[in-house]
Amino acid sequence: MTPRYDAIIVGGGHNGLVAAAYLARAGRKTLVLERRHVVGGAAVTEEVFPGFKFSVFSYVVSLLRPEIIRDLELPRHGLQILPLESTVTPLDNGDYLAGWADPDETRRELCRHSPRDADAAVVFGRLMHHMAMAVKPILAMVPPDPTSLSPGDLAGLLKLGGHFRSLGAERFHALHKLMTMSSADYLDEWFEFGPLKATKSASGIIGTFLGPRSPGTAYVLLHHYMGELDGAFRAWGFQKGGTGAISESIASAARAHGVTIRTGAAVERVLVRNGEATGVVLEGGEEIAAKIVVSGLDPRLTFTHLVESKELPDSLVEAVRRFKFRGSSGKVNLALAGLPNFTCLPGEGPHLRGAVSISPSVEYLERAYDDAKYGEFSRHPYMDIVIPSMIDPNMAPPGKHVMSVFVQYAPYNLNGGWTDAKREAFGDAVVDTISRYAPNLKSLILHRQVLTPLDIERMTGLTEGNIFQGELALQQLFFMRPAPRWAKYRTPIRGYWQCGAGTHPGGGIMGASGRLAAMEILRSTP
Amino acid sequence: MSAAGNGGAFDVVVIGAGANGLVAAARMGKAGLRVLLLERGESLGGQGAVMEFAPGFRAAPLGVDPGWVPPAVVRGLGLESLSADTADIPLSVAIAPGSFLTLSRDAGRAAEAIRTHSATDAAKWPAFTNQIHRLAGFLGELYQTPAPDVGLTSLGDMPALLGLGLKYRALGGEGMIEFLRTLPLSVWELLDDWFECGPLKAAVATGGIQDYRQGPRSGGTGFVLLHHLVGAPVGSMRGRLPWRGGPGAFTDALEQVARRAGVTIRTGAAVSRIMVRDDAATGVVLANGEEIATRAVLSTADPTRTLLEWVDPVWLDPEFMHAVGNIRYRGCTAVVMFALDAIPAFPGLASSDALAGVVSLTPTVVALEKAADAAKYGDVSENPHVELTVPTLRTPTLADGGKQVLIARVHYAPYRLREGATWDSTRRDALADRVTAAIEAVSPGFGAHVLHRVAMSPKDIEERYGLREGAPSQGELGLDQILFMRPVAGWGRHATPLEGLYLGGVGTHPGPGIAGGAGWLAANRLLEVRRSGKGRA
Repeated sequence: MTPRYDAIIVGGGHNGLVAAAYLARAGRKTLVLERRHVVGGAAVTEEVFPGFKFSVFSYVVSLLRPEIIRDLELPRHGLQILPLESTVTPLDNGDYLAGWADPDETRRELCRHSPRDADAAVVFGRLMHHMAMAVKPILAMVPPDPTSLSPGDLAGLLKLGGHFRSLGAERFHALHKLMTMSSADYLDEWFEFGPLKATKSASGIIGTFLGPRSPGTAYVLLHHYMGELDGAFRAWGFQKGGTGAISESIASAARAHGVTIRTGAAVERVLVRNGEATGVVLEGGEEIAAKIVVSGLDPRLTFTHLVESKELPDSLVEAVRRFKFRGSSGKVNLALAGLPNFTCLPGEGPHLRGAVSISPSVEYLERAYDDAKYGEFSRHPYMDIVIPSMIDPNMAPPGKHVMSVFVQYAPYNLNGGWTDAKREAFGDAVVDTISRYAPNLKSLILHRQVLTPLDIERMTGLTEGNIFQGELALQQLFFMRPAPRWAKYRTPIRGYWQCGAGTHPGGGIMGASGRLAAMEILRSTP
Repeated sequence: MSAAGNGGAFDVVVIGAGANGLVAAARMGKAGLRVLLLERGESLGGQGAVMEFAPGFRAAPLGVDPGWVPPAVVRGLGLESLSADTADIPLSVAIAPGSFLTLSRDAGRAAEAIRTHSATDAAKWPAFTNQIHRLAGFLGELYQTPAPDVGLTSLGDMPALLGLGLKYRALGGEGMIEFLRTLPLSVWELLDDWFECGPLKAAVATGGIQDYRQGPRSGGTGFVLLHHLVGAPVGSMRGRLPWRGGPGAFTDALEQVARRAGVTIRTGAAVSRIMVRDDAATGVVLANGEEIATRAVLSTADPTRTLLEWVDPVWLDPEFMHAVGNIRYRGCTAVVMFALDAIPAFPGLASSDALAGVVSLTPTVVALEKAADAAKYGDVSENPHVELTVPTLRTPTLADGGKQVLIARVHYAPYRLREGATWDSTRRDALADRVTAAIEAVSPGFGAHVLHRVAMSPKDIEERYGLREGAPSQGELGLDQILFMRPVAGWGRHATPLEGLYLGGVGTHPGPGIAGGAGWLAANRLLEVRRSGKGRA
């Protein structure tokens, strides 16, 4: 029989949807199969408590590739990103450190703490911009295989080498430092004010089971600067209606191009005949044939769940076994009767329209990591707190609010395993720690949703609850993501492809993996 | 070429008579230069120097691993006669009092020992040691040529680069990937990929944290493991073979070569300043005020001292100085030397032969990691990682009257302590007591054998050896401080912004444990510049 579809995308996360949209745009008959009742994967908005809507997992956006926004005309499909206006770090001495939307204001604020750092921050920001620029072409390229001698790969390597040469020595060296150093060491070379270093280095540990003093975290720091690429003011922002609305806009664009999206359709396995993918089987037994199957799931699921390892070379099976997931982040979603009152900035101010970062010092973050290293959740965790209802009132009933708290560290492999009791204890640690800075918080809490990495895994399928589908560690990037020789979105099974964040460049609501995968598929399949 | 008079009686002054200084001086002496070698101490050998720490008891506490002498140095200086002891240098780990795991250099024997703990690990061991040996071998290739750099690489480098490229390809697809993958990896993850046996992992992991203020769980410790195994015999997990004739043999041989090459050696001659005129080094000033004019200076002291303490800042660009100021040293190693009347009994230790190698007293990787945690916050580990060696087993002459010397290396003893704390004798003795207790735990009655005990904190090591922050690495082996990034980005080729001033110490490429490697490359660079006639040298 002739397959009804040219392509089946397994998993309706944002990368799967992006890949589907690009394939359909090129005339491929495409079907997206999503296990849950909503599309979006980790970028979903749900009314967790009556009247209170949450970006349940992923909660801010910045990295979404501009070319995707253009190609898929996402604004026409509802993409509307409202700027996140500030980052405030409460200090233990009752003071605070703030970064505002207005650079001059930020500079004045920094001068309060360290005039030297205020100057350094300008140069640092410029360098980070240049570094992000230097990495941009790499994010947009299909990783060549350095061990291969095929013309395509050699050309890719030469292009890469040429790119590095074109950076010039100074920027190449700066990039090398960012790729290899710890975020704390890197920032020590620039700044003197502890809380500033801590707050900046925090973005180097997100989604990674490493502390700010662990080499490799400086790259994660850079990864989070990619969002500021298009210059202008588009740092981090909220999607109106939550991150689920981003997924919805991509899904809507995909449908407009003729993509069929089925929710509540869990794929049990991929059909493989004579080393070639021929379709999928759903839980319940329904078989759907397609010319190619594209997995948007993480590498563990893509290679050990959807297909049998006997179909794969041992080297790949081993590489996937070694691939580090190590989910280390939790999420606490709070429904509030009113606004928290931070003692460092009392009352309702602009700071509540931005992020509040619990990162008083690098040592604070490092000690939070020490707890997790030995299998406990951080007693005093790092937290990134936002109140989406301040920006988008529709997220909560009138006068009420939703608070989203991203938390590290909560190790997937907790000593003795996660239990309901331990989940609540973790939630208490989070609320207690915030209460040190906003004492009225506890009295405001109407509902509380606590998500451990285990919960994230159960709900989204993300292995070990890693929000990046695998750590952004140097040995898991570029041509090693997810595995050497299989970083070009292909798999050893003909007609079976991968497009998730577990492939290059991965991580964040970026969509780059989905787009690159689609490009590669269109380039190499009729 | 800027004028600097006749440059005095010497073409070049080499600062520091460690392995690198001696090799550089000998190399240039053989090339016909008039070389003056200045050593601030009274004895030669630097980190390899043998000291008498108690009457009749000698040791080279920082020279337990004699390091690797690159073939070019051996050939170039005619050191072929200098031979290494071929005896086994096992790595052992205390599992519990009365129980040790000893990893012989012989993969078969090691696997045998491992089998009692894990048959699967035993089966993998030979493949593991071969892989590590292969990867370290390629690193060794990188360490024999000037560091390739995107900014510097010129057509002249292409043959060397091409050679490296081919050697890299020779690793094979698997090897190429494993090499790239292992460098940023933590030794913890690397070992988890291979093994299940805790003590085995704990033993091998000690190689990844040598003189490095990070724990085994920290990225980059995979590289540190490989680095310290460059030039090590296959099967060895802790360093290279000791010299036949003892730790002093290498230094003595180098001194002879240097003197034969006409090198003038002055000990007790501490440099206090490098004279500069018109962006060019013109000589050095000694602590006693004596001025020595010269056309070139090659310093094997650490880059920070050489450039920020000895050179007048007016001659250096602020950004360059900032980069030098940012070099991380982070000494975290202390040593305790014991003078013993006899070899104490270590129940459960295969043979006293094991004591000739390295015996780690830390049974788990977690214990290593916890020892590192304290250092992050400027505290000395409550339960430090201690590793023992009895050099007198190989070199009885180190102690008179058949007595014995035991050296304990201790991690983590951070040079930089928390606000207010200092390395006074109280803190040092407390650490030494902890070490003694740790040994006593696996060697009951050890204390009774101790005739003398001498401890050196990182501060003491700094003072005695002139090693900044007491760091034998002269710049920790982070991936951002090696190859073309060593000592600072863009200056990986031993020259400096000042004409005629060269760096050739451990703080430069290829770094610690490569005996004379940096001195050799630095001397070559100086000679090249001299030949090319570009710039003064």
